[in-house]
Amino acid sequence: MKGSDAVSAVGAFVFAIVAWKVVVVLSGLPPFILPPPESVAGRLAEAVVEGTIAPHLGATVVEIILGFSVGAGLALLIGYALARSALVERLLSPYLVAAQAVPILALAPLLALWFGPGLLGKVVICALIVFFPVAIATMVGFRSVDVGLLELGRSLRATRRQVLTTLEIPAALPNILGGLRVGVTLAVVGAIVGEWAGAERGLGVLVNLARGSLFDIPLMFATLVTIAALGIALYVLVVLAERRLVGVR
Amino acid sequence: MTSSHRPLAAVVALGLAASVSGCAVGVASPSSTPSIVPLTVGLGYIPSVQFAPFYLAQQRGLYRDAGLEVTFQNKIDPDLVTLVGQGAIDIGLADGTSVIPAVSRGIPIQYVASIYRTFPSIVFAKASSGIADAGDLAGTTLGIPGRYGSSWIMLQALLESAGLSPDDLEIRVYPDFGQGVAVENDAVVAATGFVNNEPVQLELAGHEVVVLRVDDFVPLPGPGLIAGSRLIEQRPDAIRAFIAATLEAMGQIVDDPQKGLDASIASVPDLAQNREAQSAVLAATIEAWQGDDGAPLGTIVRMDWEESIGYLTRLDLVPTAIAWHQAIDDSLLPGG
Repeated sequence: MKGSDAVSAVGAFVFAIVAWKVVVVLSGLPPFILPPPESVAGRLAEAVVEGTIAPHLGATVVEIILGFSVGAGLALLIGYALARSALVERLLSPYLVAAQAVPILALAPLLALWFGPGLLGKVVICALIVFFPVAIATMVGFRSVDVGLLELGRSLRATRRQVLTTLEIPAALPNILGGLRVGVTLAVVGAIVGEWAGAERGLGVLVNLARGSLFDIPLMFATLVTIAALGIALYVLVVLAERRLVGVR
Repeated sequence: MTSSHRPLAAVVALGLAASVSGCAVGVASPSSTPSIVPLTVGLGYIPSVQFAPFYLAQQRGLYRDAGLEVTFQNKIDPDLVTLVGQGAIDIGLADGTSVIPAVSRGIPIQYVASIYRTFPSIVFAKASSGIADAGDLAGTTLGIPGRYGSSWIMLQALLESAGLSPDDLEIRVYPDFGQGVAVENDAVVAATGFVNNEPVQLELAGHEVVVLRVDDFVPLPGPGLIAGSRLIEQRPDAIRAFIAATLEAMGQIVDDPQKGLDASIASVPDLAQNREAQSAVLAATIEAWQGDDGAPLGTIVRMDWEESIGYLTRLDLVPTAIAWHQAIDDSLLPGG
């Protein structure tokens, strides 16, 4: 990250905190509706030190890693098949769109029932929510490969594998990584939704506990901040991978 | 965003804040009291026969005769506590065990009438399990939706009454609330539940059931009516009238449960699909409305609240010390 990027990021963060504080002061909202940022920061520090956050964060991260790996992995395969086979596209597209049209929030309780309240259900929910954007980005990426280049490859008697690794994947990679950027943030959403549908541990559970059982609204906000930070961290990881693989876009 | 949009965004943000703020304090002043007072009342999330008194009072015009225009909303308990505190809902039905930590956290609500005078959260098992008291739970398996809320508080208290702790048994978590089915299928020996729900269903399925209650050890406060402190200050008569009408309806249902069942079915027609089960749930609910002390419906026992606050403090659920009079206001009960 360049120095100017870092300055912009810090500036935006400071602006958001100041705006939050201004709204708290001007609105006069009580802390149980909108706690001030310093109270949330204090509670976050306390929760980290006393070990409240770590086990929940760990559970959510495991769900995200597994769900994202499964969802994105399948999406890469299906996305390639969609790009290269009109038959596969005709057969699968309606189901993919239908699956995407049903809100994951409505599906989550059903999936929790089918796969149980354990890790598997969360991984499935995560994988489902990650799948569509990555599959579509993969399909678009492979379809955008220059036909002239493909013909050149064939005329040079390149094998299918050589065409794939030297022409198609490098050309599709920017689109695929764009899909992964969206997918990785959605994976966070999937994990939290899965935890809301039923779990013993996870940041989604901690939000519910803080809100409903403890009425600890600063802790609830602190957990939301943690979720947001996790999403940003994962997004940055994909961006860094993208810069390494295809350069700055 | 262009610079010309920035002032607009600021106005929208401030307007939003002001409107939310308005919600939080949006109680009409006493001087503008109309002849009919509108009240928004929050009940539990799923319309049920357990809310029969509210349906009956509405249908029989008890609220209207008391000068109230009551609108019901179905919300989950945690949301109700906050919404009542913020003034978005006037009166709610919430767990007493939620009220204590909420008040301790500065949410301005008070418990104004008991609905369940017997704590409805219990541990149950098949009678064939051989479990007869809390001590028998040692070494067994027990299902619970999660380590939170009134069930978890009750379980800790119940186990403590027998000198046990949750570590003395195998606790299996059923976040999907499948612990009742787990007992029926012998996946666990016992489970937490509500006296008017899981044990009733298990009995209807043909099993003899044993129920373990916590009331003798710690008299935990069951679900009751809560109101915002500001509303209590500004509209005590409206709350008093609502409580009186609701208790009147409860009394009528105690005398004639069929009235409650009919009123519930009139409000929630789906309940008619299984009258036998609904009737059994209502019977168990009516029993839980009444305490063992023979006191009138709705009675709040101050000493019980003192004990409960002390117990919840020991469980680290009361971060800021509170006194009973901060959590309850029994002056709005009939004769209060």
